[in-house]
Amino acid sequence: MRTTVSIMILMCSALLMAAAQDNANANADSGQVARVLALEHAWNQAAERKDTKALDAILDNSMLYVDYYGILRTKAEYLAWIRSEKLQPEQEVTLALTARMFGNTVLATGVYVTKGVENGKPYLRRARFVDTWTFQSGTWLCVASQSTPVLR
Amino acid sequence: MEKLLSVLVLLMLVPGADAQLAVVPAQPAQEESRLLGLELLWNQAVQAKDTRALEILIAPEMVDIEYDGTLLNRDLYLASVASQSVHAEHIGNESMSVHLYGQIAVVIGVYREAGTESGKPYSRRGRFTDTWVRRSGSWLCVATQSTLIAR
Repeated sequence: MRTTVSIMILMCSALLMAAAQDNANANADSGQVARVLALEHAWNQAAERKDTKALDAILDNSMLYVDYYGILRTKAEYLAWIRSEKLQPEQEVTLALTARMFGNTVLATGVYVTKGVENGKPYLRRARFVDTWTFQSGTWLCVASQSTPVLR
Repeated sequence: MEKLLSVLVLLMLVPGADAQLAVVPAQPAQEESRLLGLELLWNQAVQAKDTRALEILIAPEMVDIEYDGTLLNRDLYLASVASQSVHAEHIGNESMSVHLYGQIAVVIGVYREAGTESGKPYSRRGRFTDTWVRRSGSWLCVATQSTLIAR
């Protein structure tokens, strides 16, 4: 009887420890996801302010960016575009932002609405995006980003 | 044909499955060609409306952003492929590049698709980004997105 109780206690302890570990992993994951969501907001603010130094810190050097028109840009080309005086973003709002973690990668998806002036003409764009973030040397960096106009 | 595609997909998904011995880990170049092969099989599966083959290629939590910005989950995407109102007659990829980040791969390229939708012909050219995750030795797509190339 005593042996049976000991075995039951051991089994319960193992189950509780496994549950606690799962809980700890889930908390760690949600913490990382929250960091990436914060970086998404930081990206918007940096783009609005044309702060390419801040953008440089959160974009991987190999990042590829597919813009609203389907144009593929490298990181250097993207930063040059943001820096350009031809582009004057006024406001950018992100809606329905969600993120999902896959190991050392987080995919952030959402919709952005942005308005401003480009080449002297006002624009208002609404697009759905996916940003791919990877955890490298203790930092989250965006390695790919694509936008698609929301037509309907 | 459907069975053949499914078997091909399975062979392509598992590193070493086509080489009998999987002792040596796959090299980046091998992974790149495997992923490019999976992209081509994906196109073939869509043209053949082979949703069984697609189920093997895409993760249950996959998100799909269509060329018009519509957001679909895996079930809705498979239903759209199976729909009899759309017939993709030709899908071809070009300028594809593979970027490996450990257990994640990002494939970027350009696709051309032509077919009929609700009896009307259509033709599209767009840029896509597919994100693949290696899970239990197999590559599964977790996100796919396309944007029409406007100019």
